[in-house]
Formats: sequence, structure tokens, C-alpha cells
Amino acid sequence: MKKITTRLKFYLKIWWMMSKNAFLIWLSQGKLLAFFLLGKIVRFVIFIGFLIYLLKTTNGLVGYTPNQVIFFFLTFNLVDIVSQFLFRYVYSFRQLVVSGDFDLVLTKPFSPLFRSLMGGADLIDLITIPPLIGLLYYYSTLLNPSASSVLLYLFLLVCSFIISAALHIITLSLGIITLEVDHTIMIFRDFLSLGRLPVGIYKQPLQVLITYLVPIGIMITFPVRGFIGSLPVYLVLISVIFAAGLLFGSLKFWQYALKRYSSASS
Amino acid sequence: MKKNLQKFYSIFRISFQQEFAYKLSFFLWRFRNVMQIFLVFFLWSAIFSNPSTEFFGYDRDKILTYVFGILIIKALVLSARAVDVASEVASGDLNNSLVKPINIFKYWFARDISSKALNIIFAIGETIILFIILRPPLFLQTNPFYLLAFILSIGIALLLFFFILFITSAVPFWMPEAAWGSQFLFIVVVVEFLSGSIFPLDIFPAALQKILYLLPFPYLIFFPLQTYLGSLSILSVLKGLGIGIFWCGALYLSMKKVWDKGLKAYQAYGR
Repeated sequence: MKKITTRLKFYLKIWWMMSKNAFLIWLSQGKLLAFFLLGKIVRFVIFIGFLIYLLKTTNGLVGYTPNQVIFFFLTFNLVDIVSQFLFRYVYSFRQLVVSGDFDLVLTKPFSPLFRSLMGGADLIDLITIPPLIGLLYYYSTLLNPSASSVLLYLFLLVCSFIISAALHIITLSLGIITLEVDHTIMIFRDFLSLGRLPVGIYKQPLQVLITYLVPIGIMITFPVRGFIGSLPVYLVLISVIFAAGLLFGSLKFWQYALKRYSSASS
Repeated sequence: MKKNLQKFYSIFRISFQQEFAYKLSFFLWRFRNVMQIFLVFFLWSAIFSNPSTEFFGYDRDKILTYVFGILIIKALVLSARAVDVASEVASGDLNNSLVKPINIFKYWFARDISSKALNIIFAIGETIILFIILRPPLFLQTNPFYLLAFILSIGIALLLFFFILFITSAVPFWMPEAAWGSQFLFIVVVVEFLSGSIFPLDIFPAALQKILYLLPFPYLIFFPLQTYLGSLSILSVLKGLGIGIFWCGALYLSMKKVWDKGLKAYQAYGR
């Protein structure tokens, strides 16, 4: 147990060092930071404003009340932004592989996966997380949840982040094999953005596809349904099994991809 | 004149071939465009699940035609190679263009046209596939006035986007580190929302619409689509075309002025 704690502390220290460096890079480019932050805020405000205005007219969507739909949208944003905050380094992974600089990562005395996945947290996302949580809290109070619903929501969110980590690991692994990362990650985000609204709006077979195959439903719709008390127990189990299975599979795929790293260009 | 045309045809041809050099990237880029249509399509489809429903003056046919129209018009108007200009300014690679015996605006416009040609071919194919899968009820415009005005509005939109893109691309002359940041704010966020490529702008309150219609952005996507749908009176179409042409002139002059100043400030950082 002591060994695990020491190891965790070690990785936490590395993560903090790498994140601090990433933050310093952002802070040294104040204008760039301002453009991106403003862009993200404007996009969020326009979309949520549009949604509130639309739902006021339609009085709900596929059986969900306006406040529930907004809660879906905010949960999507939370999963999306926290994932980007933690796994932003994936976006620059291609350059490491193409240039052969990934060799240097492999020689370091800690997990290359950890370095590739969490090599630098994103300051912009960190800034936007607290107000987003504030909004989530506000809308959650409008839905009058029970304590158990809140706990279930938080638990299912943890599953969402595990799935997100697994999908980012798969992207990294594909990056080693195909040298293509940028579009793969953006396609993942495009799929994720389908979860801005309840998956019930999509017709079959797309609905099943984005619930289980590209697990947007599990990542976003399930936690919200848990929160509003409409998620059967078996779907909670599916969520847990899926998250664990995908993480296991992604780690195996990473090992497979590592063996195919050619170190070209180095 | 003939020599000039030959020069631009060569740029067009080379640029077209270059797009095929990165087949996977191009394929994935088109795939992303289709993905983005799904959310908008199914959102409106759910709202208009009852065919007799009418919201904001739209019925099911018109709103779904609008969504499909976005796919085609975005491919025509918003696909542009000139998105690379900002990074060229920031990296100093602009030097290569400056020493060539060719007008930089015409050079990039020729490249844009090749990108649009390729994108529209794919967008038509995607629309046919999506039509087969989703089977949406579509509205076909048959009135020659609206069809002609639609073609003209697309021409205006192409020029407007080119000018907006070049004005935005001038930001790195003064702030080289903000090349991608300025594109993200103005092209990805502002243009996307205010052009009507996420939702039609006439669902908003009248006062807000009046302000929006005075800006150039609605004339990129929203106005051409509204013209196609025949939602505007003939007078409104003519007025819209007039405002679009005015913005073309104003943005062209602004672009020239900004670039004249920018080139004087340009220090070829990174070179």
C-alpha cells in the first residue's frame, strides 16, 4: 500500500510540474490566451442562449423538461472540458511521433503513456471549469434531486472520465500506427458533441450506435438520467462494465501500438 | 489576359492535386462536416416530429431543407485554403508569396476556388448519401427569380468570406502568436454562429435580427439559404443583395488597407 501511495505521489508531482510548464507557456502568450478564452466563452454563451430561447418556445425536447435539457448540455460541457483539461497533450502527440522525439519520452523513468496522455493540462479549460460547475449546481437545484441521485450522477461521471481517458489512449495508439492524431481526436469530439442533447433525439440505429459503440450515451446521457432518477440499475452496471472493459482494451492496444513504433526521423 | 488566366489555372490545378496528397486528412475533414450536420438535423427533426408543427415561421420541410442546405453552402462558402494565410504571416512563410510575380490575393483566391470545387463535389455526394439514409422531406425551389438570386447571393458570400478571412489573417502582422487564436475567435466562433450555419437567424427576436442583418455574416449562409427557400419577398431579396454588395466593397477596401499597413509592419519573424 505504501508503495502505491509513493508511486501516486510521484506521478502527481510529475503531473504538477508538466502542467505548471504548460500554464507558464499559456501565460507568456497573453493575447493568444485572451482570444481563445473569449472564443470559448462566446461560443458557450451563444449556444446556451439559443437552447434556452428554443426550449422556451417548444417547452421541452423528446419528453425532457427545458431545465433537464439544459442539464444535459451542461453535463456534456463538463465532460468535454474536463477531458480537454486533463488530456490536452494528446493534441500535440503527432509531432512527437513524426519527429521521432517520442524516443526521448520512452527513455524517461516513468510511463510514456502518462507523459503522452497527461503531459500538460490546459489553462483555458481550467479557467472555464469553475463557472461551469456553478451553472451545473444552479440547474441541478432546479431539478430537486435526492442525495442518492447526486451520488449516482457523480459515480457515473467518473465512469465517463474513464471512458474518455480510454478513448484518448486509443487515439494515441492510432497515432503511433497511422501518424494521424488531429482528425481522430476531432472526430471523437464531434461524436461527443452529439451528446450535447439527450440521445433520444436521434433515430435508430444511430441512437444505439452513439450509446454503446461510440459511447456518448453512456458518457453523458446515463449520468443525467441517473440524476433525474430515470436510469435502470442494469444500465448503471453496463456503464461500469463498459468503462472498465474499454480502459483495459485501450491499455492493451497501447502496448500493441508501442511495439510498432518505428522511431522514424529520430 | 490569356497568360494571366493560364497562371491562375495552373495554381488551381496544383492546389487541387495538393488536396489529394493528404487523402486521409481530406476524407476525415469531410466526415467531420457530415457529423456536424447530424446534431442540427436531429435537433430540428425532434422539434418538428409532428409534421403539422410550425415554429418561428418554419415547417418541417423548410427547416430540414435549411439543414441540408447548410452542408452544401458551407462546402462552397466556408471551405478555403486561405485559412493558412494567418499561419504563413506568423511563421514568416509569407516571404515565399511576396517574392512571387503574382498578386497575393488572386493567388489565394485561385487556391480557394480549387478547394471549393473539390469540397462541393464531395458535399453533393454526401448529401445524396444522407438523403438516402435520413429520407428528409426537402423543399425544391422552382421560381427562376429566387434561383437566380440564390446563385448571385452565393457569389457574394464567396467574396465576403474571402475578405473576412484575409482581414482576420492580418492579425498576426501585429500579434504573430495570435494567428490561430484570432482564426478561432472570428472564423470558427463568430462566423459559424452569426452566419446561420448552426441555426436560422430569423428565430431570434425582431430587434436582434435587425442588428444581425446589418452585419456581413448573415450574407454568408443564412441569406443565400433564405433566398433559396423563397422565405423573403422580392424586395427583401433585392435589399439583401444590395447590403451584401455593399459589404463586399467595404470589406475589400478594409482588407486592402489593413494588408497595406500589415505588410509595412511585417518583420518575417521565424525566417
